[in-house]
Amino acid sequence: MDRKKILLVDDSSTVLLMERMILSKSEYDVVTARDGVEGVEKARAERPDLILMDVVMPRMDGFEAVRKLRAEDATREIPVIMVTTRGELSSVETGYESGCNDYVTKPINGLELLAKVRSCLGQ
Amino acid sequence: MPNDRIPKSAADGAPGAQTGRDLKQVNDKLRELISSLKSNHERLTEVRAPAAAPAPRDPSPGSPAIDLEKKRLAAELALAREAVEHAQAERERLRARLDEIEAENRRICDEYVTVQEQSSELAQLYVALDRLHAGQTREETIAAIQEIVINVIGSEEFAILEHREGALRVVHAFGVDPDPLRAVPLDAGAIGRVARTGRLYVAGREGAPSPADGDLSACIPLRVGGEVWGTVAIFRLLGHKPSFGPSDQAVFDLLSAHAGLALHHRGGAGAPRAAAG
Repeated sequence: MDRKKILLVDDSSTVLLMERMILSKSEYDVVTARDGVEGVEKARAERPDLILMDVVMPRMDGFEAVRKLRAEDATREIPVIMVTTRGELSSVETGYESGCNDYVTKPINGLELLAKVRSCLGQ
Repeated sequence: MPNDRIPKSAADGAPGAQTGRDLKQVNDKLRELISSLKSNHERLTEVRAPAAAPAPRDPSPGSPAIDLEKKRLAAELALAREAVEHAQAERERLRARLDEIEAENRRICDEYVTVQEQSSELAQLYVALDRLHAGQTREETIAAIQEIVINVIGSEEFAILEHREGALRVVHAFGVDPDPLRAVPLDAGAIGRVARTGRLYVAGREGAPSPADGDLSACIPLRVGGEVWGTVAIFRLLGHKPSFGPSDQAVFDLLSAHAGLALHHRGGAGAPRAAAG
């Protein structure tokens, strides 16, 4: 089976490392970006199978990044899981409206994250 | 037709009427012969018929044929019953095996969840340790502690306090007002007690929390060697996190053992400061 590629977009080194550790040991290839702008660029270039997108980031937030991804033919079909904290839970609806497929909350629970990733990848 | 059955006179070929009579005579003898053969055939058929005929459809009770048929059917019934019993036993065996497999499946699923939880916990610890020791400066180490508290423990309200000049003094606060924490006496509340005793405080773990401690959820002693260098006071947790879990305890222990050391090795206390929540 081909290894799936996941793009992690977050400005927190701790969250990126955490996500990378959880996903890498489950045999996913991981690429990272530190904000929404870099996330959109990496999505175009890397064509990942899935994106984990933080909400609050410098330069471009997660909602705007997802809207941009959905507006482009090359990236509109890539599933996106939003990664939110308490204050952003009220914005889950905004996340769905922007085009995300699912969300997980911080602090990240490894089991929950893996379950949602597998679900989004149809595994 | 065999020639020996034709009268000698006819065969001799007498001319005229004699020949006609002879032929008529031969014909008559042939008819007799045919009639005789038919009669014999019918008798033979009658004699053979009872032995070749099938069993009567409604034989009288107690006849040998009925007994034989009953025995045959009884034997067949016994075989069928044996087959049914065998099938039922096999079904029970398969059902028991299915139960075993389902129990095994549940056990494996539970083990998988446990392993994943342990793996996640190890990942948390690795990340926390990596972040704590990756910082080159005191500010980077404080930022690492902040990220651990927010993203690993799950709180956006906390403060780091150092033990200086007989009191605990806030050196960093996030999401809380630092003013009440600028000088916390060592004999005041849970935070002072943690600094004094070096024992972790988790609200509600040892009786009801004191109203004086307000929203304090946990207080972690920061150790340098055998000394308590300061504390990390964690107030309200994120809304979707109702309480601390087992993995949080491991992170508390790690912070207690490494955060103070990391800060201590990266220089003395700077001026207390607060970050926006």
